[in-house]
Amino acid sequence: MDQPRPETEAPDAALLVAFANGDAGAARLLAERLLPRTFAQAHRMLGDRAEAEDVAQDAMMRLWKIAGEWRQGEAQVSTWLYRVTANLCTDRLRRRKRSMPLDAVAEPLDGAPSVLAQMHRDARATALSDALAQLPPRQAEAVALRHLEGLSNPEIAAVMEIGVEAVESLTARGKRGLAAILAGRREELGIEDDD
Amino acid sequence: MTIEPDKREIGELDALFAEVASHKAAPSADLMTRVLADAASVQAPAAARPLAQGSSGFFSPLWVALGGWAGAGGLAAVAATGVWLGIAPPAALETVTDAIFGSSVTLQVFSADDVLGMGI
Repeated sequence: MDQPRPETEAPDAALLVAFANGDAGAARLLAERLLPRTFAQAHRMLGDRAEAEDVAQDAMMRLWKIAGEWRQGEAQVSTWLYRVTANLCTDRLRRRKRSMPLDAVAEPLDGAPSVLAQMHRDARATALSDALAQLPPRQAEAVALRHLEGLSNPEIAAVMEIGVEAVESLTARGKRGLAAILAGRREELGIEDDD
Repeated sequence: MTIEPDKREIGELDALFAEVASHKAAPSADLMTRVLADAASVQAPAAARPLAQGSSGFFSPLWVALGGWAGAGGLAAVAATGVWLGIAPPAALETVTDAIFGSSVTLQVFSADDVLGMGI
C-alpha cells in the first residue's frame, strides 16, 4: 500500500512557509486544500459564480503574498482565509447595494404569480445574497459565517477579531434584518403563503 | 428595519440558509490554473534571490537574513579587517589603545621550557 507523502499531511502554516521558501509543490497542495472551500464560501455569500471566482482568486493571491511574513502559531491559515474572503465578499455586496435601486429588494410583489418563484434554486441564493447586501457589512459577515458556513460563535469571533458577545449581537440583529428584508420577497423566493 | 419578523419568517429564513449552505460549488479547473499561476508569479521574484535557488536547508533563513551573497561578502570583508587589525594594528590605532589601556605587560605563567604546564 502506498504511504502518504509527508507533505500532504503537513499543517497549512508549514506548507505556507515551504511555499515562501520556494517550494512550488507546496503551492499546489495549499491550493487543492484551500481553494475549494474559499470558492464555496464566496459562492454562497455572493450567489454568483463569476464573482465568487474573482474573490477566491483574490483571496488566494493575498495568501501567496503574505506567505513570506507568516508567523506560525499566531493564527490559523483557515481562519485568516475565512476573514479575507468574507471581507472581500462584503466589499462586493456593498458595491452591489450602491448599484441597486433602493426598493429593489424590499418591495413586495403584487398579486401576480412571480416567474422567479419557478426559477432554479440559484435564484434564491442570489436573492439571499442581494438581501445580505442590504445589511450593514459586519452583520452580513457574521450572519454568513454563522448560517452559511456553519461556524460556531467562538470561531466567528476569531475570524472577525471581536468578542463572542459581539458575534451574538451581530448575528441576531443581522438575522432579524434579513428576515424583514426577505419578507417582501416571499413569492419571488418560492415561499408559499398559507394564510 | 422597524418591523419585527415573526416566527414563520424566521423559520423560512432558516430554510433558505440551509438550502444555500448545502451548495457545494466546486472551483473550475481554469480557476485552479489561474491561482497556481498567481502563486508562481509571487514565487518567481523570491526564486531569483541567490538562496532561494533550491536551497531549503536549516541555515536558509539565516542566510536570507544576512542578505545572501552580497551580505555575506560584506561580513567577510569586515571580519578580515578585524583580523588584520589584530595582527598588525596601525600606529595611530596603537597610540589610542596605549592611551586607553596603558603599556602592555607580559605575564609569564609557565616557564619557557614547560609550555604544557605539567611541571615536569
